[in-house]
Amino acid sequence: MSSSTSSVRNIWAIFSREMASYFFSPTAYVVIFLFTITNGITFYVYTASFHTETRQIDTVIQFLFGYAPFWILLLLIPPILTMRLFSEEKRTGTMEMLMTAPVTDFQVVAGKFLAAQCFFMLIWSTILFDVFILEVLGNPDWGPVFAFYIGLFALGALFNAIGLFASACTRNQLIAAVVSLSGNLFLFFLQQCRFIFVAEAESQRFFDFISIHHHFYTEYSRGIVDLRYLFLYLSFAMLVLFFSVRVVESRRWR
Amino acid sequence: MAVDDISFDVEEGQIIGFLGPNGAGKTTTLRILTGFLPGDTGTVRVAGCDVSRDSVRVREAIGYLPEGVPLYPEMRVSEFLRFRARLKGISRRERSREVGAALELTHIDHVRRRIVGTLSKGYRQRVGLADALLGRPSVLILDEPTVGLDPEQVIQFRQLLREVGRERTVILSTHILSEVDHICDGAIIIHGGRIAAQDTAANLRRRVQAFSPILLEVKGSEMMAADLRGLSGVNVVQELEKVDDGYQRFHVRPHSGRDPRAEIYGLVRDRDWTLRELHQIPATLEEAFLEIVGTPDSDSASPGGNGAKKRAGKK
Repeated sequence: MSSSTSSVRNIWAIFSREMASYFFSPTAYVVIFLFTITNGITFYVYTASFHTETRQIDTVIQFLFGYAPFWILLLLIPPILTMRLFSEEKRTGTMEMLMTAPVTDFQVVAGKFLAAQCFFMLIWSTILFDVFILEVLGNPDWGPVFAFYIGLFALGALFNAIGLFASACTRNQLIAAVVSLSGNLFLFFLQQCRFIFVAEAESQRFFDFISIHHHFYTEYSRGIVDLRYLFLYLSFAMLVLFFSVRVVESRRWR
Repeated sequence: MAVDDISFDVEEGQIIGFLGPNGAGKTTTLRILTGFLPGDTGTVRVAGCDVSRDSVRVREAIGYLPEGVPLYPEMRVSEFLRFRARLKGISRRERSREVGAALELTHIDHVRRRIVGTLSKGYRQRVGLADALLGRPSVLILDEPTVGLDPEQVIQFRQLLREVGRERTVILSTHILSEVDHICDGAIIIHGGRIAAQDTAANLRRRVQAFSPILLEVKGSEMMAADLRGLSGVNVVQELEKVDDGYQRFHVRPHSGRDPRAEIYGLVRDRDWTLRELHQIPATLEEAFLEIVGTPDSDSASPGGNGAKKRAGKK
């Protein structure tokens, strides 16, 4: 058997175990419950309060994908999904079991990351129900919806990578969650630095560019996807994953 | 550093006991063998492959049962074993057969639907062994496999090990010497991170036989101890309790390599004592162990040390 097929097979094995373990533990149900409740309320409030305005349907979509509840969930869910990934294995000792099987550190990291990412997208896909309801009521613009999902995927990858990295660093789930949430918040508020450079348009543009939320309001909401941001997020996610692999294998050189 | 300059070979098909008190470096050594931890220097070869260079190949050849048997508690037994079979690269077609065979061999077929977290220690141990057996590894490495089992389970487990050890190389670590006595072909005694002795179980016993005390129960004068000390083959005479009817028990330790039993009998006959018992107490591996690691003049009494070398050859 060639090494690439066995690599895919190992990643798939770890991926499916992690996916299954989300549903074995209460995590999945708690997260999905919180998520759907929050979004249900948000959706109801926005549809109820905007029905008198023009372009009401598209405004609702933009509120679903860009305002306070959205960001709270987006910053909070990846740490919850990823905090367990390595720290639990380290704490219970199953890490030894896992890493002495014929799998590489990269395959383990990749499988776990993909599981978190997949579950993350699964959770967000529930918002599509809201959009389908809007489709029944009127004629929403799907362009921004697709753009939001593409942006979500890239940002989710970054946040999940950060969470996985934090989890690989500690055997304490709580510490992993707090560290990755702090990382997410740091990235979220990084754009605020633009206010330090009020006089410098160049600096302001830089901070707007690397901002993780700026593009949601200025571009995704109009259905515009700029590949440069996606590459920025995804390559940053790759970098963090690469560090995670190094952390996992660091037990061999420290 | 937990282990320092260790070197040993294990022949194919042998069952080797890795002995030592707690903290001797057993687990560290086994982790190095499985590639979970690195050695700082030296090479480890398992099944012909270098552990640091060909790590995945080595891990394919090894079935490893870590200390404490860490398993995913939320999975069902058969689910867990199928997951492990997948990780070990067993093809989908053979997976259920392999898992079935492992369940059968470890006698846990009837709990295959149970959730691992609800199983007793003994059953979890067997699930761990079933996992180690998946993929027909040529080398089994078991870290403290009988800790926490009740006596009946220990006996079952040993039987199981003998069965699975017939066509495999097995290295098991333990701090219980009778385990080695019962199932192992040979033993490596490790203490303070160094190898204190390495031999077959029988040879180890012979090695300490020389030191093992002679039990003597006689009735005679008050000066018996002094007379015994006067014998040329006798090293130490220890006066034990007086038993009924005025008999006195002694432990007589010979000088190494000497057997003073005939001499003692001669003395008894000359002095006209009444002899009731004279025999050499068969050496147990416990004594072998104490003899080897417990001697106060050996430098192995200090665990650790600052050396950071590890050398292990393994077939």
